[in-house]
Amino acid sequence: MNTVRKSIFPSAQDTWASIAARELDSTNTEESIANLQSWNLHVFARPPAPADSPRAGNPILPSDILFIEPPLA
Amino acid sequence: MDLVIRNGNIVDGSGLPSYLGDIAINDGRIVRVGNVADTGTTEIDARGKIVSPGFIDPHTHFDAQLLWDGAAKPAIEHGVTTIVPGNCSLSLAPLKADHRMKLVGMFNQIEEMPFKAFEEGVVWDWETFEEFVTRIKKDLTINVAPLVGHSVLRLWVMGNESMHRTATAQETQAMQALLKECLDAGAIGLSTSFIDMDETLQPVPSRYADAAELDALCAVLGQHNRILQAVHEFYDNDITVARIDQLADISRKHKITTTLSPLFVNNDNFAGVDQAIARVVEQNEAGARVWPQVQTRPIDISFTFSVPSLLFIRLRTWYAVMRFGTPETIMAAFRDEAQRKQLVAEASNMMGLWQRLILRQVKTEANQQYVGKNLAEIAELRGTDALNVMIDLSLEEDLDAHFLSADMGHNNDEKVGSLLRHPHVMIGASDGGAHILSFSTYGDTGYLFSRFVRDNHSMSIEEAVKKITSDTADIWAIADRGLLKSGYIADVTIFDADLIDRGPEYYVQDVPGDGHRYVRDSVGVETVIIGGAVAYTQQGGYTDERRGEIVGGRP
Repeated sequence: MNTVRKSIFPSAQDTWASIAARELDSTNTEESIANLQSWNLHVFARPPAPADSPRAGNPILPSDILFIEPPLA
Repeated sequence: MDLVIRNGNIVDGSGLPSYLGDIAINDGRIVRVGNVADTGTTEIDARGKIVSPGFIDPHTHFDAQLLWDGAAKPAIEHGVTTIVPGNCSLSLAPLKADHRMKLVGMFNQIEEMPFKAFEEGVVWDWETFEEFVTRIKKDLTINVAPLVGHSVLRLWVMGNESMHRTATAQETQAMQALLKECLDAGAIGLSTSFIDMDETLQPVPSRYADAAELDALCAVLGQHNRILQAVHEFYDNDITVARIDQLADISRKHKITTTLSPLFVNNDNFAGVDQAIARVVEQNEAGARVWPQVQTRPIDISFTFSVPSLLFIRLRTWYAVMRFGTPETIMAAFRDEAQRKQLVAEASNMMGLWQRLILRQVKTEANQQYVGKNLAEIAELRGTDALNVMIDLSLEEDLDAHFLSADMGHNNDEKVGSLLRHPHVMIGASDGGAHILSFSTYGDTGYLFSRFVRDNHSMSIEEAVKKITSDTADIWAIADRGLLKSGYIADVTIFDADLIDRGPEYYVQDVPGDGHRYVRDSVGVETVIIGGAVAYTQQGGYTDERRGEIVGGRP
């Protein structure tokens, strides 16, 4: 198979921070989160959930695909 | 014989060359193809015409319409004899009474089916899938191969929690049992969505499912040899490729067929669709069954400001005004200086789009002079810009100004033609019965023949017929349909190869509750036979025959 961009399925409780800590090889958390968000604008730019929602503040859905590396050259 | 079709140019759906011959039909089935000596109670002279299997449309949303129109008009007059509703995680069953208005909201948001159509066109006399199937079977002209929607399975089992969280193990088991019950009642497979939003602009329930839940449901599909349909993030090529990989893994693990739709040709990036197709080929050669669906027609969107339009879905202020407003509040927003300024600012970087919009319909005499012109031309005549002229015209017409955004993509004939012909592509994604206030979803089959067979020679007529008959039947495991063959069910379309086409799009009021929709009439389709009975003729229109069946998958 040809190489494709690496991606993961998030778990139900995943956040940007938990995915960054688990998947990205970096000690700079803020930078890792920023990278993750920039690689996944389809999730990052999603309208926020209502404040009374259990996922308020977290746009990541369990059915999402999240890239853990930048687009391939 | 009940019916004999004579002297036709038979394109039998197998892809083999056409030949002159007759077809004899008795008791709803084809009993002979070739020379028929017996006479028929009814005889049709098909001299000079193509005789083919009835077309199968694998991606529709006729669910609601079937409750007041068992012919799914105008699908049949375009030669379609079997439709697949229930796509994109949304079916009308199973559905508890408490959840009806929630589902109506989702259908309104995603498929643009008006609330009033449900209020005035639907008698809610079912809850289970079996009850729904029994309900629509009462008055069915067209064959229906219904999918059951993942979002409604979740809604049934989890209630409102389905819109907030993943399922527990117990809930997943309950969904598995419910899916089995639906498949046993005639569902041809399961549909899911990774992209759709509900009427509150929040994700539909299927998007709160994790991979384990989808996997558990696909295990049930595997036990029944049924298909999984998914609507994916088609706007992003990398995500499309990742979804192809996901479906391929599911397909191999559970030995099921999967299909994702839609796949479009992006005129600015041909490489994107090439990469997706290359991945499909790789995965299928590695044992998966993943079928991307490609529509034949280019992307056009029409709109008024009286209903939310897909065109504005990424312009949050505009979309919120349309989605949550009444005609009065929308016009008030347009009249209010501050709000208008905000709307103009949000949309001004898309001025090229607004300038190309064509004013297609107005109600006042004063503005008839502008109909057919694009907004750049009208703006010049009025001394303003395209965005402001769009707002001004909408106010002058009490929001009843209709705008058309034509040729928005998927319109490179050479590229689309090569894609439609590709052996790993299924022709589909018509969305029949959906988006009724944005564009006509009818006539894609006529367009296939006129544009890609007759005009551009992208494929032969035999290849085109095979693609929308026996190929589709094989992929969906639909038994005894899709070929003109002895023993097969007599679903037959007779058409003129020199004339077949889709007619012009027009706006018509024929939806319950005084609702409107965009439709296209057929051109060159002469006779459509369903289950051995004539369902439609070009000269006489629809008949009273009701031979449509619920078409489940082959075991």
